[in-house]
Amino acid sequence: MTFPSQRTLDMCLQVKQLGGKNNRKYVELSIWHFLSMNNSQMAGKLGFLVLFLCLTSICEASVIHPISDSHRSAALELFTPVDGSFASLEEAYEALRTFEILGIGKELNVRASTCSSVVDNLGPSSSLKDLFYALRANALLKCEIENVFAEIALRVKTSINDANSLLDFYYSIGSLGLIKDQTSEVDVSLADADGIFRSIKALSQSDGRWRYDSNNPVSSTYAAGIALETLAGVISLATSEIDQSLIGTLNNDIVKLFDGIEKYDDGAYYFEEKIVDALEQRGPLSATSSVVRGLTAFAAVTSGSLNLPGNKVIGLAKFFLGIGVPGNAKDLYDQIDALACLENNRVSIPLILSLPATVLSLTKKDHLKVRVSTVLGSTAPPLSVKLMQAFSSDSKDASIIESQELKFDPEADVHFLDVLPKIVDVGKYVFVFETVLNDPEHKKVYATGGRTKVPMYITGVVEIDNAEIAVLDSDLGSIESQKKLDLVGDNTISLSANHLQKLRLSFRLTTPLKHPFNPHQAFLKLTHETKVEHIFVLGNSGKQFEIILDFLGLVEKFFYLSGRYDIQLTVGDAVMENSFLRELGHIELDLPEPPEKATRPPPQPVDAYLRYGPKAEITHIFRAPEKRPPRELSLAFLGLVLLPLLGFLVGLLRLGTNLKNFPTSTVPATFAILFHLGIAAVLSLYALFWLKLDLFTTLKALGFLGIFLMFVGHRTLSHLASTSAKLKSS
Amino acid sequence: MSRLPLIFLVAVIPFLSTLCTSFSPEKPSDRRILVLLDDLALQSSHSLFFDSLSSRGYALDFKLADDPKIGLKRYGQYLYDGLILFAPSADRFGGNIDSAAIVDFIDVGHDLIIAADNSASERIREIATECGVDFDDDQAAMVVDHTSYAVSDTEGDHTLIASDDFIQSEVLLGSNKIEAPVLFQGIGHSLNPANSLVLKVLSASSAAYSANPKTKLSSPPSLTGSAISLVSVVQARNNARVLISGSLSMFSNRFFRSEVQKAGSSIKHAKSGNEQFLTELSKWVFHERGHLKAVNVRHNKVGEANEPSMYRINDDLEYAVEIYEWSGKSWEPYVANDVQVQFYMMSPYVLKTLSTDQKGLYFTAFKVPDVYGVFQFKVEYQQLGYTSLSLSKQIPVRPFRHNEYERFLTAAFPYYGASFSMMAGFFVFTFAYLYNK
Repeated sequence: MTFPSQRTLDMCLQVKQLGGKNNRKYVELSIWHFLSMNNSQMAGKLGFLVLFLCLTSICEASVIHPISDSHRSAALELFTPVDGSFASLEEAYEALRTFEILGIGKELNVRASTCSSVVDNLGPSSSLKDLFYALRANALLKCEIENVFAEIALRVKTSINDANSLLDFYYSIGSLGLIKDQTSEVDVSLADADGIFRSIKALSQSDGRWRYDSNNPVSSTYAAGIALETLAGVISLATSEIDQSLIGTLNNDIVKLFDGIEKYDDGAYYFEEKIVDALEQRGPLSATSSVVRGLTAFAAVTSGSLNLPGNKVIGLAKFFLGIGVPGNAKDLYDQIDALACLENNRVSIPLILSLPATVLSLTKKDHLKVRVSTVLGSTAPPLSVKLMQAFSSDSKDASIIESQELKFDPEADVHFLDVLPKIVDVGKYVFVFETVLNDPEHKKVYATGGRTKVPMYITGVVEIDNAEIAVLDSDLGSIESQKKLDLVGDNTISLSANHLQKLRLSFRLTTPLKHPFNPHQAFLKLTHETKVEHIFVLGNSGKQFEIILDFLGLVEKFFYLSGRYDIQLTVGDAVMENSFLRELGHIELDLPEPPEKATRPPPQPVDAYLRYGPKAEITHIFRAPEKRPPRELSLAFLGLVLLPLLGFLVGLLRLGTNLKNFPTSTVPATFAILFHLGIAAVLSLYALFWLKLDLFTTLKALGFLGIFLMFVGHRTLSHLASTSAKLKSS
Repeated sequence: MSRLPLIFLVAVIPFLSTLCTSFSPEKPSDRRILVLLDDLALQSSHSLFFDSLSSRGYALDFKLADDPKIGLKRYGQYLYDGLILFAPSADRFGGNIDSAAIVDFIDVGHDLIIAADNSASERIREIATECGVDFDDDQAAMVVDHTSYAVSDTEGDHTLIASDDFIQSEVLLGSNKIEAPVLFQGIGHSLNPANSLVLKVLSASSAAYSANPKTKLSSPPSLTGSAISLVSVVQARNNARVLISGSLSMFSNRFFRSEVQKAGSSIKHAKSGNEQFLTELSKWVFHERGHLKAVNVRHNKVGEANEPSMYRINDDLEYAVEIYEWSGKSWEPYVANDVQVQFYMMSPYVLKTLSTDQKGLYFTAFKVPDVYGVFQFKVEYQQLGYTSLSLSKQIPVRPFRHNEYERFLTAAFPYYGASFSMMAGFFVFTFAYLYNK
C-alpha cells in the first residue's frame, strides 16, 4: 500500500463496474478492505478522501427499478407454508404482511391454520413476544376472536411497569397499539406516558443509537429503529400530550442517527449495524429497515416536526431497491415492509426514475422511455421529466442534447422521447434526467431526488467497406498481390509471402451518421498450423483501419515457423450491432530457418478429450514353436531305423543260430534265465525311463538291477566259461 | 478430580469421530462445508445455490472471510470437508487460514469452489495459480464478447456473456443437456498447458477477449478467443476437486432466475442455464458423481476358483474387478466399455479391454506371455471427470518345470526307434552270442 492513489483509482473503476444491482455490497467491502489495509492512520485518511472524491465525482448512477413481478414470484417462493401453516407466528406475520403489500397470496389457504395459532397464542400463558405477533397477524387476518382483548390489555399494562428492556417495551406498547386498532371497546391509553417515554429514552446513546437493555452497554442501530417505533406507540397511546421537549430531544437523536448514515456511490443511503455479535447478526438491510419503520411510525404521530432531506429518503429507497430480489424470507420482508413504510410516510414519498432500457438501437428505432413511479411501482403524481443533458461518456464537456422535455404516455405510464435527435450517433452516453412535479403542493410530499445520471448505449449497424488485403514488397512498397475483401460475407483468400515482404490489411468503418467509427475490438489473428496464435491490434489512421505486418521484424515473434497461417479478423464494439468474427483465408509464409538459439514456440494445451480414453490393445506375441518335420516323415524314418534290426534278426535265422549252448543243469539254467531277465529288466527300465520315470528313479533302480545283474551275470558267464574250458580241455 | 478429564474424554471421543476427513469410500456422506464470504448479504443474494447444496444434505457454515475465529482445522483434524470461497476481494483471511492452509486443505483431498470477480485479490489469484489456473493479470480486465453476449436492455457493455461452449462430459455436467446458455460476468483465466489435471468446463467464444471495457486497447490483450476459460475444474491426483470460476455473480439468484437470449439467436430462454450448470458441477465437485471405487479384484487360472500364488508361462487366466460409482447416496454399478487391464512388467505385455456385464463387473481372460518374471495386473483407469483408478497386483510368472515339457515328440521317433531297436538287437544278440553252438 505505498500508492494509495493508484489503488483508489482501481477501486473507483471497480465501483463503477460494480454499480449493478446485487453487487453493490462489494463496494462497501472494498472500501473496508482498503481502509483496513492501511496501517498508517494518515494514509487511511488520505485514501478515504481520495476515494470519496472519486465516488462522488466520477462514478455514475446506475438505474434501479421499482418493485416488480419478480419480487412477487420470489415472495411466493420464499414464504411457502408447510402443510398450510407457517413455522411461527412471526414468520406468518411477515409472510402475510409481504403478501398484503405486494397484493398477492390470496390463493394460499393459510387463514384457518394461522387463525387457530393466533387464538392459541392469545391465551394467558403465552409470552409477550408471541402475544405481540399474534395480535399483529390478527390485524391482517381479522380472525374471529372472542373478547379477550381487555384481559390482554390489563396484562400488558402491568408488564409495562415491570419492563426494563427495550424489547419488553416494544412488545407491550406494540400490543396495546394493535389492540387499540382492533377494538374500540378496550381502554388501552397509557396514564403515565411521559414516564414510560423517559424510561425508554434512558436507553438511548449519544450517537442516536439505542441499547437493548440498561445492563448491556452495546448499542445498536436496529434497536434505535425499534425504540423509535415504540416511542411512536407511546405517543399515540398517551392520554395527554407528551412533553414537547421530549419529542424535541428525540428529534435531535434522529438527526444524530442520520449523521452516522453510510452512502454508496450511486446515492443510496443505509445504516450499518456495527456490533458484530455472533448471536444476532444483523446486516445493513435489517438495521436500515428497522430505522425506516421506526422513523415513519414516529413521523406519523408527530406530524410535521421531523425534517428529513429528500435525498436521504430517496437514498434509502435506492438502497432497498438496489438489493434486487433477496434470497431469504426475512430479507424480503424487511425490504418490502420498509419500502411500504417509505411509500406511505408523512415526511416525503420517494419517487423513482427508472428506464426500461438503457440500450437503444438506432436500427430498431427504439424510443427513449423513462418511467417515474413510487417505490412499490404505483403511479406517480402528475409530473414532467426533462432530459437535461446528454453527453458522450468519452468527452464529458460536449453536450449533444440540451434540456428536452419528454412526452407522457398516460396509457403505458411512461415518459418518452419519440425520436432521438438526428445528431445522436452510436456510442456510449450519459443522459441526465430531471423530474419536476407539476403541482407545487406535491413538492412537499414527494421526493424526486433531483437529477439522475444514466449511462446509455446507443447501438447501430456500422458500415464496413474498402476492405483490402495485400502483400507488399518490402523495399519498394510495390504491391505484389492485392485482393478485395467482402467483410460481410465469407472469404477464402490464399496468399503467399516470404520474410522480406509485408502484409497489409485495411478497411473502413463508418457509423450510420457517416462518422469514422473506432471499435474497442479490432484484432487480426494469425494462427499457424501448430495452433500457435499471434494477435495484432489494428490501429486507425484517420478514416482507414490499417495494419501492416512486416514479416522481417516478426520472424522472431513467429518462432521461425513457416507454413500456413489462417487469418482471422474480429471487429466488435459494445455499440456495434454487427460485430463479427471472420475467417479471411490463409497466407503461406516462407520464413528463414531458425538459428540455433531461437526461442521455441510455447507448448500448446493438449485437447482434454484426447488425453483420456482407452489405449490401443496390446497382445503378446508368443515365441513361435520350433519347426518340426511332418509326422509321416518321422514315422518313415522310424521304419527305416527299425530295418537293420529286422535285417539282423533275418541274418541270425539265416545263419542258423541256435541255443544249444544253454545250460542244461537246473542251477546254471536258473542263473542264465535270471541274467537275461535282468538284462530285459534293465532294458525295460530304459523304456520306462523314456515313458515316465525320471533320471533319479532310473539310476536307483539301475543300481539295484546292476548289482543283481553283476551277480547273476558273473555266475552265468563263469559257468559258460568253465563249460567251454572243459570242452577245450576235453 | 481425575475423573473429570476422563468423562470429558469419553464425551468428546464420539464427537471427534464425526469430524471426518476427506471423501472416503468407507464413509462417503456426512459432509461439512465452510463458506467464506466477503459479505453476509451474499448468503441472501446467492441463496438458490446454497439452498441447492443444503437440500442435498450438506451442512453449510457461513463465515466472513476475515472472521478471526475461522479455522480449517483444529488439533490436527480438519473441521470441514469442503470449502466455498466466495470472497473474491479478501486480501487475507481470518484465523489461521491463508493460501498455504487452503492448498494444504486440497492436498489432503478436500474440495474447493473458488469464485472470483474483477475485484479478485492477490490471495485469490495465488490460490488459483496453485491449482493451475491463471487469472488475467490486468486487474481491470473483464471478459468481453461482442458476438455472444446476453441480450439485455440494461447491460450494454457486453461483459454479460451468454456462453454455451461446455465441455462434453456427462459426468461433469449431468446427463441432461444444458439447453440455455450460461450467464457469466467476470474475469477470464487461462490454463497452464503443462498441467494435465485442470479442465476447461466453460470456455469463451472465439471472439471473446479479456480487457478493460472502459479504456481503449493499445496492445493485444493477453487472453483472447477460446483460450479463455470461464469456469474450470481441477481434479488432483488425490481426487480432491476444485472448481474455479471467474464470476461470482454467475452463482447469484439474479443470474439463476434471469432470462437469457444470446446475441444473434432468436431463442429466448425463460431461465438461464446457470442453475443447472452450477448445480450439476457442484455435484461433481462434492463427489456426488464420478467417484469410482474398485473392489473384488481377483484372478485365477481358467477352470479354477482360487487365486494362485504364481502362474506358469502360457497359462490361461481370468481377471475380474468390480467398479462402482458413488451417486451421492449409494454405490451404483459403473457402466463403461473402456476399462483396460495391463499385464505389466517394466512395460505392458498384454493390454486388454475388459468386458462388462453392465452390473459393475468387468472381466477378461488371456494367456500369460511366455516370458517369466514378476508381473503386475494393472488397471490404470483415467476418464475425463472420473476419479482415476489405479490398481496393481503383483504376481510372479515361472517357466516350465523339467517335466512340463512335451515328452513324446514324433520328430524324435527315429532316434528312439534307433535306441530301442539297438536294445532289442542287443538282447537278441546276447542269446545268440552266449548260447550259439
